[in-house]
Amino acid sequence: MYQTDREEKRRVTLEGSDSIIQVEQLCKSYGDTRALEDASFAVRRGEIFGYLGPNGAGKTTTINILCGLLKRDTGKVAVCGLDIDRDPVAVKGRIGVVPEESNLYPELTCRRNLEYLGELYGLSRVARKKQVHDLLQTFDLVDKGTTPFRALSRGMKRRLTVAAALLHAPEVVFLDEPTAGLDVPSARALRSLIQAINGDGTTVFLTTHNLAEAEALCDRVLILVKGRVVAEGTGQEIRGRVEETKTLSVVFSGDVVQESLRAACPAVHSVFPVDGAWQLGVTETHAAVAQIVSFAEKQGIRVLKIGTTTASLEDAFMRIVNDKADGQEDES
Amino acid sequence: MNQLANVFFISRKDIESYYSKPPLITWGILFPAVLMLAIYVKDPTTYLDVAPGLIAMTLLFGNTSMAAIVVTFEKRSGTLQRLLLTPVTIRTIVTGKAASAAVYGIATSLVIMVGLICLLGMRIVNPFVLSIGLLLGAGTFSLLGLIASVMVREVFEAMTLMNLLRFPMLFISGVFMPVAVFPAWIKPVSMISPLTYVVELLRFGIFGESYFSSPWICIFVAAGFLVISWLLAGPAFGRSADR
Repeated sequence: MYQTDREEKRRVTLEGSDSIIQVEQLCKSYGDTRALEDASFAVRRGEIFGYLGPNGAGKTTTINILCGLLKRDTGKVAVCGLDIDRDPVAVKGRIGVVPEESNLYPELTCRRNLEYLGELYGLSRVARKKQVHDLLQTFDLVDKGTTPFRALSRGMKRRLTVAAALLHAPEVVFLDEPTAGLDVPSARALRSLIQAINGDGTTVFLTTHNLAEAEALCDRVLILVKGRVVAEGTGQEIRGRVEETKTLSVVFSGDVVQESLRAACPAVHSVFPVDGAWQLGVTETHAAVAQIVSFAEKQGIRVLKIGTTTASLEDAFMRIVNDKADGQEDES
Repeated sequence: MNQLANVFFISRKDIESYYSKPPLITWGILFPAVLMLAIYVKDPTTYLDVAPGLIAMTLLFGNTSMAAIVVTFEKRSGTLQRLLLTPVTIRTIVTGKAASAAVYGIATSLVIMVGLICLLGMRIVNPFVLSIGLLLGAGTFSLLGLIASVMVREVFEAMTLMNLLRFPMLFISGVFMPVAVFPAWIKPVSMISPLTYVVELLRFGIFGESYFSSPWICIFVAAGFLVISWLLAGPAFGRSADR
């Protein structure tokens, strides 16, 4: 009772009511390097929230702050309505974390790993045994119960690490690159499990480099570039930000230098090679097509294929990240 | 209550994972046993004089090394981060890890003592004081090992750091000869070493006499070192986790 009252008093009321994670003007530096700059966002209860960004954007730093592994410099952070710095133990009891590298005890068996963590989360002996059994079954690891963690395949290690994060039925699960390094069947199985976890009402905070995965799984996504939030919304909303400019997919009969193509076509504002074709962001389609054809003639090559495409989340991500990177270079 | 239970769970897991493994047990026992045997062979009439110092040295080296190795290993494998993600306080982790290392140190010391009693005829005059000495020494040295381990990344760095502390301590703490016969200028220096008080407690437990007039002086000072080490280990561990 005392604990409940105390937690209630410490409840952080930033704004909004259905947000399970609220971050306001979060800043973190490592020496002179600014990892996070005024990052603000909110994660709604029950959603799968994609936290995207290129390497070094500050994704893992954010997760480490939200999980209580790292102290923030400034800003407000509330997880499950509690301030992580003031109530780290209470917050850690309500969240589950799957770090980028599976980090269970290599020398312990799968079952013992889960039982040990169940003990630390305060599960009773009966609840612990049931939960361990159920999770091993759900994650198809029953026959590996007596196998040491170090002897598992990478996919099995990943599955057991996710299982360990769910032992205490957390309100939020943080998944840091959960499918990185997995083969296709393992990654697909894990994605299904993530959807099942979310189907049970658990909020999922997901970081991934796989934008198709983010598009398939996430209700909303946020894009972080160099520690700054540059876009946030549903996949459709993010795509909508770049769809005001059309995307042309062009295949030439010969090699093309990216800079030459961009320089020769003023109506083209972005150029990316994708699977043997060129994805071109254009402002005015007719003018761009004319310039592309003219460019091909001057280069002595032919346009084999040209057509408009719908921007994927990956296209939008690349466009936003490059625009922001260009903008920051200009500023500096 | 929950945190107390977690101390037990962490400690039990570490004993299961590390301290109950045959290589660690044999390392902890063989080193002092061989040293004791060498001293016995050299002079069978006075070998017992160094028994308290040798047992204290076993505690010092065993506990500081093992606590540092375990934490450094867990930092590298990521399992320390796993532990930090669970709802346990830093103090609970520190206490649990120090407790498991202390159990290891006490267990190996007891084996050495049983060997000395059964094979070489050592007698224990005051088991209570001896037990207190073992407990306080094992706890303090384990915590010192933990503090060293959070300041470094590699096991060898932890050992180097610990050796800078351990070898001067051996020299000034009455391990190989009683503090009473030290030159006058070393005696005040020996008073700043926790090992001195552990050796004197063991000496009191085995022989019923020590450099200090009362064992309680040693108990209070050694307990003070234990509390200070515990207080320092918490923030040190916390800072390490924040790196």
